[in-house]
Amino acid sequence: MRRIISITVLGIIAVGFILTFSQIPFGKDKIDVANYYIKKGIEETGAVNIVTSVVLNYRGFDTLGEVTVLFIAAVGLGVVLFVEKKVQKNVSNDKDKSKRASLILRTGSHLLFPLILLFGAYVFVHGHLTPGGGFQGGAVIASGFLLMYLAFPRQSIDKKSFSVVESLGGLIFVGIGLLGLVFSGYFLTNFLPKGIPNTVFSAGIIPIIYIAVGLKIGFELTAIIDDLLGRSR
Amino acid sequence: MNLIYNWMYYIASGGLILIGLYIVLVKTNLIKIIIGLHFVNTGVNILLICIGYIRGRTAPIFSKPGINPTNVVDPVPQALVLTAIVIGVAVLALALSIVIKVYEHNKTLNVSRIKGLKW
Amino acid sequence: MVNPSLLIGVPLALAFSIPLFGLISKKIEKYIPIAALLINVVISLTLIPQVLKKPVVVFIGGWNPPFCINLVVGPLGIFLAILISGIGLLVSIYAVSYIKEEPTEKYHILFLLLMVGAIGIVLTGDIFNLFVFFEILCISSYALVAYNKDKEGTEAAMKYLIQGSIGSSFILIGIALLYGGFGTLNMAHIASKITSADPTFLFITLAFFITGFGIEAAIFPLNAWLPDAHSSAPSSISAILSCIAIKTGVYGVARMIFTMFNAGSILTFIAFLGLLTLLIGEMSAFRQDDIKRLLAYSSIGQIGLIVFALGIATSLGVFGALFQIVSHALAKALLFLAAGYMIYRVGSKSITSLNGIGKKMPLTSFAFAIGSFSLIGLPPFAGFISKFSIIYAAIQVKKPIFLAFIAVALIATVIEAGYFFRIVQNLYFKEGKKLEKVTETSGFILIPLIILTISIIAIGIHPQFITGLLKEAANELLERAGYIGWVLGGT
Repeated sequence: MRRIISITVLGIIAVGFILTFSQIPFGKDKIDVANYYIKKGIEETGAVNIVTSVVLNYRGFDTLGEVTVLFIAAVGLGVVLFVEKKVQKNVSNDKDKSKRASLILRTGSHLLFPLILLFGAYVFVHGHLTPGGGFQGGAVIASGFLLMYLAFPRQSIDKKSFSVVESLGGLIFVGIGLLGLVFSGYFLTNFLPKGIPNTVFSAGIIPIIYIAVGLKIGFELTAIIDDLLGRSR
Repeated sequence: MNLIYNWMYYIASGGLILIGLYIVLVKTNLIKIIIGLHFVNTGVNILLICIGYIRGRTAPIFSKPGINPTNVVDPVPQALVLTAIVIGVAVLALALSIVIKVYEHNKTLNVSRIKGLKW
Repeated sequence: MVNPSLLIGVPLALAFSIPLFGLISKKIEKYIPIAALLINVVISLTLIPQVLKKPVVVFIGGWNPPFCINLVVGPLGIFLAILISGIGLLVSIYAVSYIKEEPTEKYHILFLLLMVGAIGIVLTGDIFNLFVFFEILCISSYALVAYNKDKEGTEAAMKYLIQGSIGSSFILIGIALLYGGFGTLNMAHIASKITSADPTFLFITLAFFITGFGIEAAIFPLNAWLPDAHSSAPSSISAILSCIAIKTGVYGVARMIFTMFNAGSILTFIAFLGLLTLLIGEMSAFRQDDIKRLLAYSSIGQIGLIVFALGIATSLGVFGALFQIVSHALAKALLFLAAGYMIYRVGSKSITSLNGIGKKMPLTSFAFAIGSFSLIGLPPFAGFISKFSIIYAAIQVKKPIFLAFIAVALIATVIEAGYFFRIVQNLYFKEGKKLEKVTETSGFILIPLIILTISIIAIGIHPQFITGLLKEAANELLERAGYIGWVLGGT
C-alpha cells in the first residue's frame, strides 16, 4: 500500500520535472546578471577567480549564512552527543586494551600530516587565484586531523582551544562586515585596496575572509569528527 | 540519440532526486533513509550546476591569457552549489548524531518499530 | 537612521562570541541572548517611523540591484521583525532559569542563531538568501528539539529532520527552476519578469515552493512532524517553534503567492487547505490528554485559520491574517511558557495531573486562562479582533462557498472553546492530588508571563497600537508593483 502511494507521488513529481526541464535549454547563454559578473568582476573586486568574487563579494551574505550553518551543526552535535564528565571517565578506563594502528599508518601519518595541512592552507590562501577557497581548504585540513585520529585513536584534540578558534573565525567574518558598514555605509563592502590582479596580495578583503573561514571550517569539522568518535572511546 | 545527448544531465539529476525520494518514502532502516536524503541533496546540486553550463566554454578563472569574458560558463550556480553542499553536509552530520542517540534509546534502527509517540 | 543590516549583524556577532564569553565566566552566557534581542527590539522600534514613510532598501556590499543581495525593510518586514525579537526576548528571559540541563551555553548559542535565521527570512529580498536563512532556522530547531536527549525528544527530532530536509530540497529545486527560467535571483527582478513565462512552468515551480514552505508551515497533509516536535521539545523551544518558526513558513508561502508569482487563481484552493488544516487540528486537539500535544495541535489549527485568511486575499482578509499572527503568537507563547512551568513543578504532562493547581500557582494559572480565552476569541482580548476581522472579510467576499467555509471555521472555534474551557475548569475547580511541593514561580519566569498577559489585554482593548502598521503591511503584500518599485525603480 505504501509502495503504491509512493510510486504515484513520484510519478507526479517526475511529470513535473519533465514539463519544467524541457523549458530550460541546456547549454545556452544566460542573461544579464551572470554576464555582468563576468565582465566587471576583475575590475570591481580584483579577484581573478570569478566564482570567488561572486561567493565573497557580490553574494557575501550567503557565505556568512553558510558559515553560520556549519557552526550550528558543530554546536548541535555537541548538544546531542554530550556526555557528562563522570560518565566519560568511567568509559575511558575500560577501553585501554584497544589495538594500536599498524606501523605503516603510524609512520606515514607523521610524514603526511604536515603536508596535508600545508596543502589545505595553500588551497584557502590562494582562493582568489585558483579553484578552491575557504571551504575546500578547511575540508582538507580536517582530513589531515582525521588521519591522525585513525593512526592514534587514544589521543584527542583540545576542545577548548578549537572552539575558541571557531568563534574567532566567525567573529572576524562578521567583524569585517561591520567594519565595512563603518567605513562606507554598506555591510560587507570591500574597503581594502584591490591591488594588482593575479597576485597573492590582491582583491581586498577576500584573502583575509578566506583565511579566517578556512581555519574555522577545518577546526569545526575536526571537532565534529571528535564528537562522533567520542562515543566509542 | 540527439535527444538523450541534449538532456542526459537533466535526466541524471531528476533520476537521482526521484531515487532519493523513493528511498525516504519506502525504506524502513534509518541509515538508509538518511542516505536517501543525501541522494536528494546531490541530485538538486547536480541540477543547479547543469543549469549554469554553457556549451563549449571553460571555467571562469582569468588566470591564463586565452580566457576572455565571452568564453566562460556562468559563475552564479557554482556559488549557489558551494553553499548548498555545505548545508547538506551540516544536515547530514546532525542527522547521524540524532540517529546515534535514537539507537541508544531504542536499540533498533527500524522506523516501524520506533513508535514511542502515538497519535 | 540606523542601518537595518545591524538587525542581523549584531545578534550574529554576539552569537559567535558566546563561547569566548564563556571562557571568562559561565554566568554571563545566559544574559547575552537577552542583550542581543533587546538591541534588536530597540533598533526595530526606531525604524518604524522611517519605514512607514518609505520602505528602507539596504544593498549589502554596495552594489546595485539586481547584482547584489538586498534587504527590503518594508512595513511587513519590520512588523514581523519586531514580533520575532519581542517574543524571543521574553522567551530568553524565561530560559534563564528554566533551562537547567547541560550544556546550557550551547542552548543559548542555538537559540540566538534561530532568532537570527527568523529575522533574516523576513527581511531579505533575495530568494537564495531566503533559503540560506531558512536553513539556519531549520537546523537550529532540529538541534534544539533534541536538546533534552531523552527518548521522545530524539525520536521527534528525527522525524522533524527527515521531513524538514525534504522540504528544503524542494525549495532548492524551485530556486534552480527559477534561475534556469529567468537568470536572476532577486525577488523583485523575478517578480517583474514573471508575466513573460509559460503558465505551466510557473505552476509547477510554485507547487514545489508551496510544498517546501508548507512542510515548515504545517499545512494539512504535511504536518505529521509538528505534534511530536512541539510536545517533546523543552517548553521555551516549543513556544518559539509554535510562535515564530511556523509563521516564517507561512510568510514564505505568502511571499511566493502574492509578491513573486502573482497567482490569484489558486487562492481558493489555499483557503480550502487552510480550512482543512483548521478542522483537523482542532478535532485532534480535542482528544488529547497530554497538554503540550494539545497545544501543538491547536497551533496547527490556528495556522490553518491564518492560511485561510490569506486565501481570502482582500485587504481586510490579509489584515486579519496578520492580526491573527500577532494574537496567536502572544497567546501561544503565554500558554506554552505557563504550561511548561506547571509541568516542571508537577512532574507530568497529562491534563488530569494539573487538577487544582489554580490555588497553588495562582499567577501562572491566571496567565494560562487569559491565554486560552484570547485564543478562543472572547471579547476583551486580542484574539477577538483578529477572528472577527477574518470572519467579516470572508462574509464580504460574497461567494457562496465562502459561507460554507465560515460555518466550518465557527464549528472549529466551538470545538476549541470546548477543550480550553475543560482545562481551565480542571485548573481551578477540580481537586488535585499530591500537590504539596508546588509553589509559585520565580522572578525570571514570572516577568515574561506578566508582560505577555498585559500585552494581550492591551491590544485587545486598544488595537490602535498596531493596526496602522498592519494595514500598511497588508497593502505591501497585495500590491506587488509597489514592492518592485522600491527595489528596482528607486535606486
